[in-house]
Amino acid sequence: MKYVLVSDPSLRDGNHAIQHQLSEEQIAAYCRAADAAGVPIVEVGHGNGLGASSLQLGESKTPDDRALRVARENLKTTKLGIHVIPGFATIEKDLKHAIDIGVDVIRVAAHVTEADLTQRHIDFARSKNKTVFGVLMMSHMASPELLAEQAKKMESYGAEGFIFMDSAGHYLPSDVTERVVALKRELSIAIGFHAHNNLGMAIANSVAAVEAGASMLDGCARGFGAGAGNAQLEVLVAVLHRMGYETGIDLYKILDAADLAEKELMSVVPTIKSTSVVSGLAGVFSGFMKPVDRIAKQFNLDARDIFFELGRRKIIAGQEDIIIEVATELAKRTQTAPVQARSV
Amino acid sequence: MNVRAVDLIREDCLSGLEGRSEQLSPLRGDTVVITGGTGFTGTWLAEMIAALNDQYSFGTKLILISRSTDHFKSTRPHLANRADITLVKSDVRYMVELPKETNWVIHAAANPDNRFHSTNPIEAMAIISDGTFAVLKAVDRCGDFKMFLNLSSGLIYGSQPLEVERISEHYAGAPSCGSVSSVYAEAKRFAETLCAAARSQARIPLVTARPFAFIGPYQSMDTPWAINNFIRDALNGSAIRVHGDGQTVRSYMYPSDMAYWYLRILTGGSSGLTYNVGNPEGITLQNLALMIAGHFTPSPEIRLHTAAGAAKTRFVPEVAMAVNELGLAQKVSMPQAIERTIRWNKA
Repeated sequence: MKYVLVSDPSLRDGNHAIQHQLSEEQIAAYCRAADAAGVPIVEVGHGNGLGASSLQLGESKTPDDRALRVARENLKTTKLGIHVIPGFATIEKDLKHAIDIGVDVIRVAAHVTEADLTQRHIDFARSKNKTVFGVLMMSHMASPELLAEQAKKMESYGAEGFIFMDSAGHYLPSDVTERVVALKRELSIAIGFHAHNNLGMAIANSVAAVEAGASMLDGCARGFGAGAGNAQLEVLVAVLHRMGYETGIDLYKILDAADLAEKELMSVVPTIKSTSVVSGLAGVFSGFMKPVDRIAKQFNLDARDIFFELGRRKIIAGQEDIIIEVATELAKRTQTAPVQARSV
Repeated sequence: MNVRAVDLIREDCLSGLEGRSEQLSPLRGDTVVITGGTGFTGTWLAEMIAALNDQYSFGTKLILISRSTDHFKSTRPHLANRADITLVKSDVRYMVELPKETNWVIHAAANPDNRFHSTNPIEAMAIISDGTFAVLKAVDRCGDFKMFLNLSSGLIYGSQPLEVERISEHYAGAPSCGSVSSVYAEAKRFAETLCAAARSQARIPLVTARPFAFIGPYQSMDTPWAINNFIRDALNGSAIRVHGDGQTVRSYMYPSDMAYWYLRILTGGSSGLTYNVGNPEGITLQNLALMIAGHFTPSPEIRLHTAAGAAKTRFVPEVAMAVNELGLAQKVSMPQAIERTIRWNKA
């Protein structure tokens, strides 16, 4: 039976959905449930990863140090993972400390065209004998060939697996298949996929990924993640089992973990809101949903117009400041002409 | 580098030369130039020639050309301060002439680190292509020149099919020329053809070696290659982590054999011929991990499948050309290579 390595970033990506307000109690409760279900890897931290808590990106209710310690205490067999974006996470201040706390899996991430930035962090994590995966975000912004080229760099730096993220929830299954095929041609390490559900395609895209040869998938309980959410973990596990894949995850217990997540972690279960559809179409990072909604209200604008303008400017995660700039310009324009309805 | 580490390498060189030093006698009293002279290959060649001079009175002069001579002086003073070794700080691409007394050239200038190839693919190619061009032009001006050894790469064959046990010099595979990951291999292919052109047009006596994989002292254990990381992790008391099912096959030659083979190919190889250099006996990564673990107490844990779905690959040379034509043999077995590498890293 073919095995798919499932990673669960509910306690990291889900933080985007609640302005990074996960508490120690919530982290502990979900870690225990995921551990009992046999989830192989649980990722914990600020939505933008280690060291990203800030005024600009949103401050974590639970600092990295506490979040990782609490998770470590409550994970017995499940591995503890972190998302590391060089620039937010420094080696000296953040990564060394996280390794001392006992993280097992380090996923070093960069924008899809910026793999060069990850070499030092990958080098360091490998030198500490940790499992290291390379991650490229906003992968729809590069062609399959460019994605594969960038992934190859991460492999050469020492990444033991590679994950591409559909951060904007923009893909259709054929887009995913095309990328996995290109990656398989170029890489000799394992390939993984991280879906978002803006267009309702997260599970279908994940299935397309494994059918094309990927062997690692991400899923979040109830889809708890940025924007319209991620591939819904318990559904993903059920589908993979039905397809004949082994995940090592107990279905009943992951269903229980998802029930717990719905009750304990989120005020609202992620749904595909109108703005999610627009951000998916526009190819804008799902984590922008909350700030765009907030700023649209503040400037009395249609959030959908902001998303399309952000998409036109190819804005990426970390450039949240630009939302206000775009809103200001759109507001100026609407003073002289009404906002035009957009069609795609 | 401490005295113990220096002594271990001298032991390796003397053991490698025992009973076969006279086959290198064409080097007696001559001058050898090595480009890329302070890297892993150049350093081992310098150790071997130093041993030939000290033990067998070869009187060979050695000129090491490199951009990193300052680093070499501080880290390898036992070589840098020798009277028979001269360091020339130069980028091989911009070298106009070689010392007029040059008789032999080993062209080793290239950076084999695939992290560098990924980050600086143009530079990686230029060092090989422009560097080879510059050295060949410079050799053309030497009066009493005897042989040019071009160090190419076993990677020029492209991916080894799993069903091909060993790759011979006649294997017609090639790297994919449209891929950035091929920059090193493709540049080496170009350099081989450039050398063939120089041999034909300028009548430069020229032989080619295609190195495969090596393990031994002077290699960085942090380079993300399987064997280096296995040894590093075991030295750090950590588990040895193997991607996939551990059935990927590699082979490794110890560098004292490598250095002897290069010198023998330089002095005894036929102009125009190409010789694979490496260990023809493959080993799975799982067995390699077990072999390394056996040198430590307590034995480190070996973890397979640290990444699901890692592809199985194979990289093993056929070395019949070197064995049959030049009488070459490996003196250091794979287990001995591991043992000596660990011993040196602990020294």
